[in-house]
Amino acid sequence: MKDSPRARRGTRLWSVLLLPGTIWMTVFFLGALGILLLLSFGTTDDLGNPHFGHTLGNFAALLNPIYMQVILRSLLYAALTSVICLAIAYPVAYAIALHGGRFKNALIAAVVIPFFANYLVRMYGWVTLLSDGGPVLSLLHHLGVPQTFKLLSTPYAVIGGLVYGFVVFMVLPVYAALERLDVSLIEAGRDLGGGPLTTFWRVTLPATRQGATAGLLLVFLPAMGDFVSAQLLGGPQQLMIGSLIQDKFFGGQDWPLGSALTMLLMLVLLACTSVYLRQATREAREATR
Amino acid sequence: MLLTPPPRPSGRPTRRSVLRGAAGTLLGAAALPALSGCGYLNTEVTADDLPPVTPEIDGDLVYFNWADYVDPTVLSGFCSEYKVSITQANYDSMESMAAKIAAGNKYDIIFPSAKWTQRMAQAGQLRRIDRSRMVNAPAIFKGYPYFADPWYDADSGHSIPFSMYKTGIAWRKDKLGPALGGSWSDLWDRRAAGYTYLLDDEDEVLGVGALRLGYDVNTGDQHRLARITDLLATVRPLLRGFSSDDYTNILDGNAWIQHMWSGDMAAVLSQADDASIYGFETCREGTPINSDCYAIPRDAEHPGTALLFIDYMLRPENVRKNIAYIGYPMPVPGTEEDYRKLVAPFPDCVVTLDDLEHGYHFGNTTAAGNQARDAAWTQVEAG
Amino acid sequence: MTLAPPSTRPRPAFSLRRRKVERRPRTAIAVTALFFVFLYLPIGVVTLFSFNSKKSLTDFGTPSLRWYKAFWDDPDLTGSVVTSLQVSTVAMIGSVVLGAALALGLVRARSRFGSLANLVMLVPLVTPEIVTGVGSLLLFRGLELTPSMGTLLVAETTFSISYVTVILRSRVSALNPEVEEAAMDLGASRLQALRLVTLPALFPALLASAMLVFALVFDDFVLAYFTSGVSPQPISVRIYSEIRFGIQPSINAVGTLMLLGSITLIALALAVPRLFGRKGSGLDLLSGG
Repeated sequence: MKDSPRARRGTRLWSVLLLPGTIWMTVFFLGALGILLLLSFGTTDDLGNPHFGHTLGNFAALLNPIYMQVILRSLLYAALTSVICLAIAYPVAYAIALHGGRFKNALIAAVVIPFFANYLVRMYGWVTLLSDGGPVLSLLHHLGVPQTFKLLSTPYAVIGGLVYGFVVFMVLPVYAALERLDVSLIEAGRDLGGGPLTTFWRVTLPATRQGATAGLLLVFLPAMGDFVSAQLLGGPQQLMIGSLIQDKFFGGQDWPLGSALTMLLMLVLLACTSVYLRQATREAREATR
Repeated sequence: MLLTPPPRPSGRPTRRSVLRGAAGTLLGAAALPALSGCGYLNTEVTADDLPPVTPEIDGDLVYFNWADYVDPTVLSGFCSEYKVSITQANYDSMESMAAKIAAGNKYDIIFPSAKWTQRMAQAGQLRRIDRSRMVNAPAIFKGYPYFADPWYDADSGHSIPFSMYKTGIAWRKDKLGPALGGSWSDLWDRRAAGYTYLLDDEDEVLGVGALRLGYDVNTGDQHRLARITDLLATVRPLLRGFSSDDYTNILDGNAWIQHMWSGDMAAVLSQADDASIYGFETCREGTPINSDCYAIPRDAEHPGTALLFIDYMLRPENVRKNIAYIGYPMPVPGTEEDYRKLVAPFPDCVVTLDDLEHGYHFGNTTAAGNQARDAAWTQVEAG
Repeated sequence: MTLAPPSTRPRPAFSLRRRKVERRPRTAIAVTALFFVFLYLPIGVVTLFSFNSKKSLTDFGTPSLRWYKAFWDDPDLTGSVVTSLQVSTVAMIGSVVLGAALALGLVRARSRFGSLANLVMLVPLVTPEIVTGVGSLLLFRGLELTPSMGTLLVAETTFSISYVTVILRSRVSALNPEVEEAAMDLGASRLQALRLVTLPALFPALLASAMLVFALVFDDFVLAYFTSGVSPQPISVRIYSEIRFGIQPSINAVGTLMLLGSITLIALALAVPRLFGRKGSGLDLLSGG
């Protein structure tokens, strides 16, 4: 057990290991973020250049309900994306981990390989596929789907694009967790009379909980800030907060407002992950005992 | 043996640890002003005190442009003729270009739009160019006197025009007929509801509204912008998207009506199976006209090479190659016929002197005006 | 020196892996098959159009190698690919090292730093890349650093650390500490136990996060744009810049070549250990077998 007196020997090692990564992140990341936080109190001059300042004007501008609307929409899309990724990752990881046999390694590699082709290029591949004049719609028209049916510029296309872009971040951690799973647990669940679904819900899922959590973090959070999927596959009703932030920096030129908007987004996201954070802190608390 | 996770205590972060964490972060944040200093964003206006660039090779060229905006054979021709190499970097918007320059990167030649040429020249960020020391530049200004003293650069002292283009509307003739109304209200055509795209560009879209209402395209006035956004709110339900991928949309079949840059029609011509199903028109309320310019940033380490590069690019044979490659016309006398032939099915794409004089230019306004425009654009975009 | 077995979980007396756990889960396998189709469809488009004789992304003319030739002949494009490969490799190594240390420290350290470090590690995931990009740009400017390959590497490593840490955390907390303690009882120092027991046990997760980070950094264009210097620019930046005038088909050639390259690398990883007589393949480690 972790609390055994034996384990307390040489615990400085772990704190030392914490240091390089934390220092690096603090300097290069928090430093960058801190500057932007300061900039959110700033102004823009006539030439479009940002200046530091003391105004709350940018935050006042954020009171416009439009921003909250777009943030909520992005939350919805990111949440749906995460759930769909979870729903896809478990069967896929399960099939590969427990039934892949000797092709297991090749199969998991096959999941990652597409990511070595550029993301933008693959998304353009989807635009070509889903275009009105493209193969998918031609096929659907053949099958009798009405001519007015569209795939591009719908929320489904955007969420599909997000799932496509982020599913691998769910598959890998879940796969890693399932791989380590002691199969006898599942057997025991079956022996006790559970059907496949019950066993999954009450045995497999809790046992691989940490992998699933890792996957959720790696999908939900970045999906909120994504703008490529919405830009290429979506229409005006599918605008995501990532595109708005992008615009503030590189559409018009209002870096202070963009910084303020980012702070708002981050607050919302940190609130969402507070559950995870509290859990992780609890683990740390327990280890300290 | 079933492995159950150990029972978790109902611990929460202690007040002390949270306070410590907060204190640490605040200390870090407080240290930043000491780090930052107010002026490090390279935003001061510098005096235009450097002498005009001397045309001589002074090193390899560092080139910063949109991707694929120049024929690669022209670039390699420059390398072999002057025995220098070209390092290419690309930007995806004017604002990103400005950001990279502000970050301290030193480029020798850039291609800002007219609006940005004005901004950068006013801030003293562009080197002076003396066209009398160039071989091929004077012909431009003789043939196109408009550029001799344009609104964005007094006396064209800091830039040479590169390409020019108009904004209009492209449409599918097979879906909507051989002609539209010749007005910006064609974007509101109900027959194309759900198949209409506007450009993803604040100036262009607000410009449509301004032109329909008879306002200045650069207006920063709150009331006028409110009317513009109200007007544009009526087209939103008909829109399929805001997209600057204009020729892809129309070629893909996703757009029956596309808010279009004139130069991109040449791409439609070259890639379409049957170009006769597409049309392009300019609008009677007014046509936005724009140009991209060659410019040499103040920090350029090899401005002489850059100037020679501009001169080389202005040679008629190179201009012809570039026009054929990107499909945008250039204000070089003698190339007009080539361009006319290139876009023969879409005569409205040709940019004439008249267009330059009477077109509407996207210029710069005050900080307050920019803010108002930005808020209006957010309103239009997000709904 | 004997290496500890990759698995630290006590093995059952008989091998479970040869016994079928249950009958083949038909739905899971069907989902997996569909998943692979979904994953590779746009790849198919990209590869197909890389052989297109026309300059179009929607219209296939006749098969031709012109875009491969164009890529080969363009020193700028080839240089960009090389740069991206270099940056991805270095960032991968840096972030895996720092991220692994951070993960170990986060789970096991008994210091008050724990919760703060946790937050610091999570924040990059919450931040849209454009914000990290602009912030980093301002930070480097404030530190009087001209953007260069170095600043690019720093920025890419920074944002990758979070991905590595999140994936590894779940694996580290699932490790059984008894094996390490047994090693220490047998006379190993804390550091040796770490090197000989813990790290090999984490190897599959390390490999998985390394691959993920490599692909992430290779694809990244927003952060790369702001923190790279004048030259050479990563291929992802070049591709994103082509958005205004349309993605050039030679980029499809680049994408296809990247795929081929990664397939070759992974196939080698699978085959080479076999050539050296090791039972099983190199990627067995990924599955902990």
